[in-house]
Parts: sequence; structure tokens; C-alpha cells
Amino acid sequence: MSWKVPKLVPRSAPMILLVLTLAAATGFAAVSHLVSRYTANQQARGRKLYAQGLTEIQASRYDGAIAAFRAALTCDSTNSQYQLSLARALRDSNDPQRLDEAESYLVALWQRSPQDAAVNLALARVAAHRGNIEDATRYYHNAMYGVWTSDPDANRDRARIELIQFLLWKNARAQADSELIALAAALPPDPNAHLQAAQLFAQVQDYSGALAQFEEVLRLDPSNSAALAGAGQTAYRSGNYTVAQRYLRMAVNANPVDANSRQLLASTDFVLRANPFHSHISDAERNRRITAAFAQAEERLTQCAQQLGVDLKATDNPPSSALPGLQARWLLTQPDLKLLRSPAETDLPDAIMDVVFQIEQQTAATCGPPQSLDLALLLISKKREAASQ
Amino acid sequence: MSDPAPLVSLSTPSSSPLVTQVKTSRRLFSTIEGVFNEEVFFLILCVFIGIFSGLAVVCFRLAIDWTHLALLGPLPQTHSWRLFAVPSLAGLVVAILVLHVFPGIRGSGVNQTKSALYIFNGFIPFRTAVGKFICAGLAIGSGQSLGPEDPSLQIGASIASALGRQLEISREKLRLMAPVGAAAGLAAAFNAPISAVLFVIEEVIGRWSAGILGSVVLSAVSSVVIVRSFLGSEPLFRIPVTVFKGPSELLAYAALGIVGGLASVAFAKSVGYLRPRLKALPRWTQYFQPALAGLLVGLIAFLGFPQVMGAGYGSMDEAMHGQYAWKVLALLAVFKIIATTVSFVSGTPGGMFAPALFIGAMLGGAVGDIERILFPQLTGSTGTYVLVGMGVLFAGFLRVPMTSVFMVLEVSGNYEIIVPVIVANTFSYLVSRSLQTIPIFDMLTRQDGLILPSLEEDREETILRVEDAMLPVPATILSAQDYVDANLRRVQDSTESAFLVRMHPSGWNIITREKLQRLYQEGKGELTLASVLPAQSLPSLYPDLPLDSALRYVNDYSLIPVVNRADSRRLEGIVSRDSVFKKYGSRGAIEVPSSI
Repeated sequence: MSWKVPKLVPRSAPMILLVLTLAAATGFAAVSHLVSRYTANQQARGRKLYAQGLTEIQASRYDGAIAAFRAALTCDSTNSQYQLSLARALRDSNDPQRLDEAESYLVALWQRSPQDAAVNLALARVAAHRGNIEDATRYYHNAMYGVWTSDPDANRDRARIELIQFLLWKNARAQADSELIALAAALPPDPNAHLQAAQLFAQVQDYSGALAQFEEVLRLDPSNSAALAGAGQTAYRSGNYTVAQRYLRMAVNANPVDANSRQLLASTDFVLRANPFHSHISDAERNRRITAAFAQAEERLTQCAQQLGVDLKATDNPPSSALPGLQARWLLTQPDLKLLRSPAETDLPDAIMDVVFQIEQQTAATCGPPQSLDLALLLISKKREAASQ
Repeated sequence: MSDPAPLVSLSTPSSSPLVTQVKTSRRLFSTIEGVFNEEVFFLILCVFIGIFSGLAVVCFRLAIDWTHLALLGPLPQTHSWRLFAVPSLAGLVVAILVLHVFPGIRGSGVNQTKSALYIFNGFIPFRTAVGKFICAGLAIGSGQSLGPEDPSLQIGASIASALGRQLEISREKLRLMAPVGAAAGLAAAFNAPISAVLFVIEEVIGRWSAGILGSVVLSAVSSVVIVRSFLGSEPLFRIPVTVFKGPSELLAYAALGIVGGLASVAFAKSVGYLRPRLKALPRWTQYFQPALAGLLVGLIAFLGFPQVMGAGYGSMDEAMHGQYAWKVLALLAVFKIIATTVSFVSGTPGGMFAPALFIGAMLGGAVGDIERILFPQLTGSTGTYVLVGMGVLFAGFLRVPMTSVFMVLEVSGNYEIIVPVIVANTFSYLVSRSLQTIPIFDMLTRQDGLILPSLEEDREETILRVEDAMLPVPATILSAQDYVDANLRRVQDSTESAFLVRMHPSGWNIITREKLQRLYQEGKGELTLASVLPAQSLPSLYPDLPLDSALRYVNDYSLIPVVNRADSRRLEGIVSRDSVFKKYGSRGAIEVPSSI
């Protein structure tokens, strides 16, 4: 079989170039048509596979979704949506080995449009899966300041909350707190949003921030029982027992089955009733509270010693046990109670309460958490320590 | 429009059509003189070759993808009957087409292109392009373990050759059309113009030639522009973050290079051993060889390794992102060597570039993972090893060290890994060269009864230089500013018959004793030598020039001055016909350079 191509080309250079140009243009047009038809065909096939992948995702069948998204990408390899969905499926499949692949898809997408908030958020989640605070923070910030296709404000807040939760998980409280402050400043007047922010503030132990947010919720929705309970608990944890008592009482009234608030309210009442350092009490009341606390400390010490099997009067106790020493100190201080009424003994209340606090702290450490008045005395001791620091 | 000049037959290259071509070529260029000279016209033609090759390669890639989707589906699943049925049946069809419709399209196409340049005056039948397009598209699309790059190279070369013949350009330029088209085809297939240019120079042309570099680059770049305009500029792979831990990690890459070199040798030796034996089997078996190869490839896929089918770029991408454990990677490398060997030696048209990259990638990943298990502090990410591994097989198996480095850099777009790539490739190349003397493409051409030049041979060959044949500076050197009688007195004690004359202000000349005496007898003793010698200077040479350059002058001049490059009046020595021929004779035979 012989194939001979007929001579079709003219003999002058301009004509040759003209013919070649025409041939190239024709070829280009023909190939364009071919490519566009092929591409359209492939895109239709890709859409079908993509829809199949989405169905698999909804059923949490990640392997099936990954296979479907991969197949969709073989039909339309540059489709950002397919790549993003595949990357998300790879990331969410809980297979650490697939994170690299997910990241590579996302990095490619990011290089194409670094301002895309969805891509940045997906990359942030990959970094969060890896526990990489630096990368996660960077990508979460990119997502917050990036371009969202819908509902940008809510999405930005959601991204920041996700970052805060990640930082809390990584125990990076200072960073989480700064993110929370930024979040709180831009929150809309929505009780739920402020409530979530307040709870996050409480998690990072920024109790003043948390209380401010709970109070903002109550300003918007005065009967919000969760906010009342939260404000009470936050005030309780920050040692602001007067405020705690007010909110906890309202919380219990609003929601009588809230056992936690009820318990905290009881403790708060004890604290407020037992605190000898309260500013608006008389000297007589202060002395009464000191005397009662001193007696309660002795009782707690005796109970704890019994629980541990330590004989406070014996001399052959193990050296590691601090209880006999505390008993000795208590006995040594006991005569000073009589001097409480003397106006010259200004340091005596502190000295007596120091013994009480030592006993409460030591017994809490060795015999477990205290109850009622002992708990109140322990809380007072902690507040006192915090104030002195 | 019609031209009586017949096309040159591949099997019987004849001189008479070429004579006709030269004549018509002169006629053509006489008409365009003043507008385009041949060089300019050729460069413009190279751009068109790039465009046409790019368009053809776009269609070729679509054809492969379409065939693959139609026959195997988007993602072939293991344990499907299609996996072995499709490549087997396609192999049967391909065999019939190769034996009856498109003879001469077996194999990769690199050697055929090289043969066109060196043996067939640039002639590659257009039928080759058509046949390669159909058969390679069907074979690769159906899952035969071959790549589309070498066929793209041959399609480009074939288009260029056909265009050159149509335009009846000069024989010299027609010869260059094949490599120009080859570069365009390869660049379009890989989306990597630099590597394509380097490969064509390293493997097809076989020597560095500044003369055609421009045309090869033009065609490669224009074809890549065309491909990118249709298929986008996305790289072949999603490149992962590469990690290079430091100089100590180069030891790990050296180990990868050694393993890659050994794998290259195993691959090349199995191809070299099986190919002539299968070719020597009775003709009727050739109908079934591609089908059996397809069956074997399909069985490997059926048993759990569908990644070995086709070019395998998707699997390389997955390996780059740590989708396979080292055992799977190692098995994939082994199975790919087997699959590609059987596909290639069966005569199925298709290339070995993509399989070489695949095997290297899998080996790289496996070696990287093993090294990480053994020396966790030493090695970086798997993706980096996969990338470096690709170049390792290119260097060791295809024996194109420069292309291998640039291929990895261009494909990855990452220049941070250049040092690991160079280290690994160097080791692979050296191991392969020491265990397998003849490179794979040379071995294939020799099996076909052809001996073509190669850059590797050139590299190994010691070049004779002028300084090797240089004689010491003669005791007597005359000055052109001295009188004839004074110069005659100076040569009276000399035994030489010819003397160098230093001209003023520069240049050299030569005069014999007899001529000096004759001038004196003619009463010209009072004249300076400059006034009696011809104005044209003697040619001079430099010590570092190839000795071949002296051959041009030794018949016309008894002495040729060898001068210093920094000062042409400073004589380093002389060469004579005897000294030059003696030097060539001492090497066993006089080599006649192509320029003579």
C-alpha cells in the first residue's frame, strides 16, 4: 500500500506562508470545536459523578465519595468544586494518610485563588487536623478576610469560632482569648451569638469577658435562663459571689430544675455568710464568722484524719502526713480566739483565718473536695490568695 | 500545483528525487530572495511545525482519554473482566493494523526519527503519523503499559517531514525537519519545552549543534503554547510540599540513585533480551503478541494493580501524595517493568517515557519510605522521593542525564529539589552505564541492524586537538619588515626548506628557501619581504582547536602557525601535513571529518 500526499503547496514564499497560516487557523478551529465538544461531554459525565459523590458524602460513605469525586475529576480535572469536594472528603475520611493528598488539592486551588474563603477554610481544617497552630491560624484568618459567595458575616464568625475552638483544643488560651475579643467586638445583636461567645470566654477562663457577654444576652433577652445560669456560674468562678448570688438566684427561679445553679447558689450563700473579710459586716459578726470557721476547720481536720486512719494525738505518725502538724497549729492558735475582741490585735483575724485556710486546703488535697461550709471556706481562701497576688 | 518529483521511499532511499528537490528548492528560493532567505523561512516553518504538531498532540491526547473512558471507564476497578478483555482485544486490532496497514510504526518512534535524520534524509512517511495516532491511541487507551510521549514525538517528526517534502526545502533542511518536529511533539506531550529540546539534542540528534538549536526551541515552544491554549497550563502532577532536610539526606538520594540504576539495567536488559527473540518468531505469532501482552497487563490489573495500565500519571500523582505503602510501591515498580517490557517487545506502538517515569516514581517512593523507617531523622517527604525517582529512571534507563534533571524540574516546577535530583540521577546513570554499556535506544537500533551516532559515544570519545600534533616553534622565523637579502642570510645555516614570516602589524606568511634565493637573484634583495609576499595572510590555528580543523589547510600549506589566542603574534608552535597525519595514524586510522 502506498500513501502519497498530493502536492498542494504553491511555490512562492508569501503564498506558502498564507496557506500555512490558513491551514493552522483551520486546524485550530477544528481542534477547538473537537476539544469543546469533548470537554462538554466530559463535563456532563463529571457532573453526574459529582452528584453521586455528594450523595455518598451525605450518607457518610467517604470511600465511595472519594472514588466518585476522583472519577469526576478524571472527566474534568480542573474543576475547582470537584477538587474542593474531593479534598474535603479525603480530609474527613479520618485517614491521616489522605491528609497530604487533600492538602495538595487545596494548595493547588489556593494558588489559583488565594482569596477564596472556602478553600482557605478547608486548608485551615487540614492544618487543624494536623494540630499545626501556625498554619491553621493563618488559613482561618485568610478565610475570615476572604471572599465568601454567600452570607459572608455569618461565615466569618463561624470560621473565627472554629479557630477559637481549635485553639482551645490546643490549649492556646491566650490566642483564643484575643480571637474572642475580636469576635465579640463584631457580633451582631443576636442573643445566641453572644451566648456562644460568652461560653467560649468562659472556656478560656476570661470570666470578665464571659460575664460581659452573658449580660449582653440578658440585655437582649432578659429571661434567657442559659444566660442567667452562665452569668451566675461565671461570676461564681471569678469569685464575684455577690453578683453570682443574684444571677444564680434568678437562674434557679427561671429554671427550678437547674441543679447545677442551685448547688452553686448554695455554695455562694455559704461563702457570703461565712466570709469574715466581707466589707459590710460589723466586728462582732466578723468575730463570729472567724470563730465558726475555726471550729469548722477543726471538725474537718478530725474527719479527714479519721478517713485516712491518722491518729492526730499519736507521736508515731508517718512524716509525710501533714495533718498532725495542722492539728498542732490549730491547738496553738485556739487561745488567740479570746483576743479577737481586742482592738490592738489587728493582725489576729488574718492569722487565725490562715490556719483555717491551711487546714481546708490541705484536707481538700488529701481527703477530696469539701462540701457546704468547708467548700465556702476553701473558696474564700482561694479568693483571698488571688487578691493578695 | 502538481510536481513530478516522487516521494522518497523509506526502504529504498534514492538520490535522484533529492537532486530534483535541490533544483526545485533553488527555484523556490530564487523567487523569494529579498523577502525571506532560506534560514528565515526555515525558522518560520519551525513555528508552523510546532503549531501543527501541537494540534496533532492535542487530538492524540483526547483520543487516548476518550478510548480509555469508552473502553475501561473513568476509574477501572480491580476484578473486572474488562481489565484483561479490553487490552487483549485492542492488542489484536493493533496487531492487524500494524501488520497490514501501518508497517513501521512498531515501538516508540525515537529510533525511527533518529534514522530519518541520519539515514533517510529526513524522510518519515506521513502514514506513520496516522498509524501511530490510531494504533498508539488504541493501545494506550485500552490499557497497554506504554506512554504517549514517544508516539507524540514521532507524530511531530512525521508531520514536519511531510511538510518539508511538500515545500521541497533543501536536503540539508529536510534532514533537520524530523528533530524539529520531534521536539515539538515531545514538548506538547510533556508540556515541557526545555526537556523536549534537551532530549532531542541528547538522543535524536546525538550531538550539540548551535545551528539547529534555535529552530528546535521555536517549534517546541510554539507547540507547548498550542497545547496549553487547549488543555490548560496545569502541570501533569499536583506537586506536594517537598522537604529537603539537609546535606546528610543526599546519602539517601544516592541510595535511591543506585537502586534506580539497577532497576534501569534490569528493565533495559529484559527489553533487550526479549525483543529480538519475539521478533524472530514466525510472522503469524505477531498477530497475537500484542494481544498476549494486553492479557498479561490486564491480569496484573485484575489481580489488584490496575495502576500499571496506560501511562499511569494518575497513580504517580497518588504516589506523590503518600497514597501507597512502600510494599505496594515496590510491587507497582516491579509489575510496571514486567507490563511495559511485554507491551513494548510485543511490537505494540507506544512509548517508554511515561513507564520510565512511573517505575522511577514508585521506586523513589518505596526507597524513600524504607529509608524513613530505617533512618527517620535522615529522610524527608515521600513526595520528594517520588519526584526525584522519576528522574532516576530517565537517567538510568533512557540514559539522558541532562534531560532527566530538567524533566523533573519542569514537570514539578520546583527548583528546590535540584541537588537531590542531580545526585540521584548521577548515581543512577553511572550504575546503569557500568552494567549496561549500550544505551537502550542504541541497543534497539542495533537490533534493527542500524548503527546511529549518539551523544554518549561522543562523550566517551577522546578528541584530538591541534596541540596534539603541534611541532615546536622553528628556530628561524623571518620578519616581513626585513630585506630579502638579510632574510636570505638568516636562513643560510638552517636545514629547513620553508620558513614562517611574521607580518606587520599582524598575521603570518610562508616563504621557501628557493623563493628567497630567486628574489635575490632577480635583484630584489633591497626590498622588504612584505613588499614581495602576497597580501593574503597564512591561516593560523589555536592549540585547543580540534585537529580536524587543521585538515582543511594541510594540503595547501606546508606549515601552519599555531598562535596564542591572547596574542596572535605569539607563536605556540606549528603543524604540518606530516605531523597531522602522523597523529591520526597513531590512533589506528585517519578519521575523515564530516566537513571535508
